[in-house]
Amino acid sequence: MPQPMRISRSLYGQIALALILIFSATQPIYGQVDIENGKKLFKTNCASCHKLDKKLIGPALGGIMERRSEEWLILWIRDNAKLRASGDADANAIFDEYNGSVMQAFPQLSTEDIQNIIAYCEEGDKKAVAVAVAPVLEAEEDPTILLLILGAFLVLFLGLLIRVKNTLKQIQGDPAMSLKDDASYLIRVLANNRRFMTFLTVVLAITFLKVLFSWMMGIGVQQSYEPIQPIAYSHKVHAGDNAIDCNYCHSSARSSRIAGIPSANVCMNCHMYIDGSEITDESGLLKYHGENSPEIAKIYAAIGWDPVDRAYIKGYEQQPIRWIRVHNLPDFAYFNHAQHVTAGKVACQTCHGPVEAMEILFQYSELTMGWCINCHRETKVKTDNGFYDEASSHGGQSINERLAARFHDASIMVEDIGGLECGKCHY
Amino acid sequence: MNNNKVYWKSVDQLAQSETATTFAQNEFAEKIPTTEFLGDDKVMESQTSRRDFLKYLGFSTAAATLAACEQPIIESIPYVIQPESLTPGIPSYYASTYVDGEDYASILVKTREGRPIKINAGDDARFNNSTNARAQASVLSLYDSERLRNPQIDGSAISWSDVEADLMKSIEVSLASGKQFVLLTGSIFSQSFKSVLATLRDRYSNFSHVEMDAISSSEALDTWEMLTGQRALPLLDLSGTDLIVSVGDDFLSGNSVQHIGAAYAKRRKPGKGMLRHVQVESNLSLTGSNADKRIKIKPSEQGAVLGYLVNRTTGSAGLAFEGNLSTALKAQLDDLAAEMRAAGANCLTLAGNNAKGHAHLAAAINSGSNAITMKPSYLRSGSDEKINNLMQAMKDGHVGSLIITGCNPVYSRPGFADAMSHVDHSLALCDRLDETASLCSVAAPVPHYLESWADYQPVSGELAMSQPTIQPLFDSKPAIEVLAYAAGISSSAKELSEATVVNTYGLGWSKTIHDGGANIKEGPALNADWRSRVHDGVADASKFANATASGEWELALYGNSVGAGFQSNNPWLHELPDPVTRVSWDNYLTMSAADAMKAGLVNETQSNGALNGSMVNVTLGDVTLNNVPVLIQPGQAAGSVGLAYGYGRTHAGRVANDMGINAYDLNLTAGFAAVSITAVEGEHEFASVQLGHTMMGRKIVNEVTLADYMNDASGESWNEKMTFHTLDGVKSTDEASLWTSHDHQTMNMWNMSIDLNSCVGCGACVVACHIENNVPVVGKEEIRNHRDMHWLRIDRYYSSDMDKEVATAEGLGGIEMYAKMEEPSSSPEVVFQPVMCQHCNNAPCETVCPVAATSHSREGLNHMAYNRCIGTRYCANNCPYKVRRFNWFNYIANDKFADVNPAQDDLGRMVLNPDVTVRSRGVMEKCSMCIQRIQFGKLEAKKQGRPIKDGEVTTACAQACESGAIIFGDVNDSSSAVLAAKKEARAYHLLDEIGTQPSVFYQTKVRNRA
Repeated sequence: MPQPMRISRSLYGQIALALILIFSATQPIYGQVDIENGKKLFKTNCASCHKLDKKLIGPALGGIMERRSEEWLILWIRDNAKLRASGDADANAIFDEYNGSVMQAFPQLSTEDIQNIIAYCEEGDKKAVAVAVAPVLEAEEDPTILLLILGAFLVLFLGLLIRVKNTLKQIQGDPAMSLKDDASYLIRVLANNRRFMTFLTVVLAITFLKVLFSWMMGIGVQQSYEPIQPIAYSHKVHAGDNAIDCNYCHSSARSSRIAGIPSANVCMNCHMYIDGSEITDESGLLKYHGENSPEIAKIYAAIGWDPVDRAYIKGYEQQPIRWIRVHNLPDFAYFNHAQHVTAGKVACQTCHGPVEAMEILFQYSELTMGWCINCHRETKVKTDNGFYDEASSHGGQSINERLAARFHDASIMVEDIGGLECGKCHY
Repeated sequence: MNNNKVYWKSVDQLAQSETATTFAQNEFAEKIPTTEFLGDDKVMESQTSRRDFLKYLGFSTAAATLAACEQPIIESIPYVIQPESLTPGIPSYYASTYVDGEDYASILVKTREGRPIKINAGDDARFNNSTNARAQASVLSLYDSERLRNPQIDGSAISWSDVEADLMKSIEVSLASGKQFVLLTGSIFSQSFKSVLATLRDRYSNFSHVEMDAISSSEALDTWEMLTGQRALPLLDLSGTDLIVSVGDDFLSGNSVQHIGAAYAKRRKPGKGMLRHVQVESNLSLTGSNADKRIKIKPSEQGAVLGYLVNRTTGSAGLAFEGNLSTALKAQLDDLAAEMRAAGANCLTLAGNNAKGHAHLAAAINSGSNAITMKPSYLRSGSDEKINNLMQAMKDGHVGSLIITGCNPVYSRPGFADAMSHVDHSLALCDRLDETASLCSVAAPVPHYLESWADYQPVSGELAMSQPTIQPLFDSKPAIEVLAYAAGISSSAKELSEATVVNTYGLGWSKTIHDGGANIKEGPALNADWRSRVHDGVADASKFANATASGEWELALYGNSVGAGFQSNNPWLHELPDPVTRVSWDNYLTMSAADAMKAGLVNETQSNGALNGSMVNVTLGDVTLNNVPVLIQPGQAAGSVGLAYGYGRTHAGRVANDMGINAYDLNLTAGFAAVSITAVEGEHEFASVQLGHTMMGRKIVNEVTLADYMNDASGESWNEKMTFHTLDGVKSTDEASLWTSHDHQTMNMWNMSIDLNSCVGCGACVVACHIENNVPVVGKEEIRNHRDMHWLRIDRYYSSDMDKEVATAEGLGGIEMYAKMEEPSSSPEVVFQPVMCQHCNNAPCETVCPVAATSHSREGLNHMAYNRCIGTRYCANNCPYKVRRFNWFNYIANDKFADVNPAQDDLGRMVLNPDVTVRSRGVMEKCSMCIQRIQFGKLEAKKQGRPIKDGEVTTACAQACESGAIIFGDVNDSSSAVLAAKKEARAYHLLDEIGTQPSVFYQTKVRNRA
């Protein structure tokens, strides 16, 4: 029997210890600095050119305090051109080392901000171990036990009945029948009973047909289809953890029938800088030992990016990434993303489910016609669109006015404007 | 068993006869041919026992069953680097120019995911910004798998550098041996091309350039060159024209250089000042079918008629013609001349063939016409004289090196093959191994026009651009690049065009490409003094025109949808029936019914509803065309026969090879000649889609004369509305209904108006519909079975000499009257009526479908759900308009259709519209009013948050119609053009009396006669 989970005292103790450790580690060294804020600022302002542990467009910033003073860094970050112009030898040396690639000025960053960033650079990600608090689960009442008790009662009752029957027979003077004889007698009687046999046949036939029907209705329904993709791409990391808008990658969903799988150059917008080397495993250690993620390397292999030289390889024979299509509609069904995303303002998750939580993407919905139709029955038309709301340029009534005349104040469902008509999806 | 009863099978068995005993011993009554089977020794050696066989059978059945349940893994492969201008699922449009050696059109190419799928008329006001059937169909010629894929020498592949080296060598050899180096092309009107030619001329002293047009306009060009000093035809302007007189010119069929249909339709709007059209001809042409008055003559009389009209209209007397023409004809021509004189400067006369003197006589009549502008058109420049000289030079062995591109002289010029055998080296720059290329030393592929850069100057003051809309599919090179190489210029076709656009004309390259061309400084206008000088040579011209030989039979050639034969291998053009004869996949000799009866030739309908016809041999001089089928054609002039160009190809590809008769073999550069005809044994099988030729006295096409139309603007007398007497009083067909009416007032309500007055029957809409909706091509055999799949057909009706009044006057009974009505008149009036699904609001098809596969939408459309259809065909049987089409075969996979159906190979499949389902066997299909376009248009409006604009959503047929006969739109939009059309007095529903309340309505045809 599953027991309600309890957090042991020792666990509380560990958490408290961890918290104390974290604070004790940060507090004395950096005074009022806020590493979390520093991390945020770093990701927003610096990450496209800098990494902590390796060279990107600019130098690696891990352990920067060992090389530069805080005052110098503040001046450099605020306005490096000014610093260079002032004739600072270090500033000009690093500028020349990176072939004169210009770093932008950050006048908007306060001294405190810069200190936070530097603190983050010193500290890195490793010590910021997130403490997972195990959720307290309330166990639900399991129905199995009730069924088991009920079953036991039934067996007991059957035994009792047999006992009573045998007792009665003994009273009558007949010999007692064993359970086996009794059962075979019963079967013989039932087998010779035509009505019973007819009934049984019908029940069996109906059950068989029902099972067959359900099985056949499931043919071609690929709900929960979860194919292994050529790249172990995680929607959870992209859409969930990093909260990238769906439309960033699936940009044509707004304008076209096809949502579109992003081409490799869209991936490269981010992955030119994010090569996966900083990914950590559960224990907080670098997962790929500072090497590039082999999955991200597949994008580089497709498009021909040299991560060492940080440049596209000239004359490279590019290979498209052969993704496996998860959501398949038959050819005779026309579905248009733009109609639903832009005109209908339907959230992606309505059909695709909690994509932002899916490590491997799977087909969340049935994608059957019944499922489509249900939604068309239950969804209100977004009639605030100018298509419905405005009369054509020369006057006359708008569709909304005509709808109001017909449906009065009732809310207008997709069904009411022809959303169930065959030809809207089949042509 | 304790049952000892004996049953016997027969009396014989009871009697224990010998036969019965034998039968009883043998398991099977008849001998099983086991010895043959077991005689094969290998059978017994087989390791497969019966048991194994059953195991395999069981396994494969189970495997197949399980496999059917398994979903295939579908890959989705994005671009590596997606082009910025491309959104998958959204079409892109490119302005370009369609030039194929015969036609010229300014076009807009629709591409999806980087492949062209549809040709539309250009949307800017450019020259010829309309498309005919061939321009529409040309997108499929791009995906023709019979195109030449790489350069070849004697059937083995070589590289382009080999081709160029080989060419240079042959030029050097020709120079060294003192022979000519000749380039033979179609008409050239590209500035870049001409500048390359100029360099070639400078570089090689023995170079010469010859142009030829498959259907020659040489005589007209010679005439205008003589009159104006420029080898160019004058452009026509119909805006002020009140009367067109065409002597044998089929100017509406899309074979003429200038697309005149739009201007013609505009001037044919019923009302005051409506253009009147008189056609004088022998074959019943498409243009003649549209004429208000048609005069039948023999082909040899055309010159005489023109001369007679010169006499009667311009007063240049003294031309001796009168003797050649019959008195009856002269009387008709006198009336015509009176009309022409009355129209004065507003009359335009056209002469249609290439016979000597005709163009001059027509020009003489037109000397005062305001329709002839001084603006030259450069689309035709071929010269018969030059090509004859070239052939002579070739025969004499004077030609050392010959390059042929943009024409197919071996096919279209008899004797050219023989002349070619005397040429040292020949190079064909061609799209396929055609008749000419297969005889050349080297054949090298040129790109299709949708794959290449080019610039054109079709008319004075206009620059037109062609731009690639797809990467070249094969290892091809534009002809201009090969010639530039020979000229020592190492530029690509794009660079050459860019130089012309930017350097020669000083235009911006990007804008010119985007617009598909630009207006440039006009070239020299035609010399206006031709109007006075034209009369000088009339006497000579009339002598030539009058000298034409006449005979018992006279043949006049014409062009149908296949045209000169440049796109013969395009199945869409063959599937499109000839608009007048309604026969597809063929050419044939058209002959009048009286002549056919005299010659003992017949056309008979077979028991399966197909048409068979007699065959004849046609002889001209020493050339005989064998087994030419004869088709009886109402309206054909007595003693004349007609035959279409473009058939009888031998090296065009699997669609066109050995289909029909090659009319070019007769070498009729004039276009007509006297021939002799002898009947031969045998029958020809036609693929005719229409066997009923008359309307049998019904109001299918409603007609009115202009006078009646003007007298009664309400239309009550000539467009009587059908009414029903109901319990609630008299009701119109729109009000009276057995059914609860649909809600058509709330959303958009799509209607279509078809103006029978504007429709000339050309068939561009049929091809456009075919392309837009992935309609399968079914081929000749299935068309013969009346299983054509066209969603849109153009019915053609002839008038009959019999009607109810005549029958009453002659005292004929009903049966006799209707029997006579079936016969078209020998000089019929012709009407065309495009018929597609009428989208009835009380649709008979919907009520009989057992599975509700066809249903009505609140937007006024009749929907067809293919996947729901189980193929009972009840709907087609119940459809009064007969517009539903059944997929009898799986046309996209059945081997029987592999030759004709483009969707059967990987290349041809690229032309399919990705927004429309490809139908499978066993389902019904029909016009959907291009619902994919309606849905697309609505979504575009919703995306932009605005209502639909009128004209924004249109069907493929309406878009393709150059004369604007089809108007499509939302009648709930109070200012839409279609609502205005619906309110017109001329509007009526087809078969209104059956109460189907269609969403399609027609506009009464108005004939410009009293």
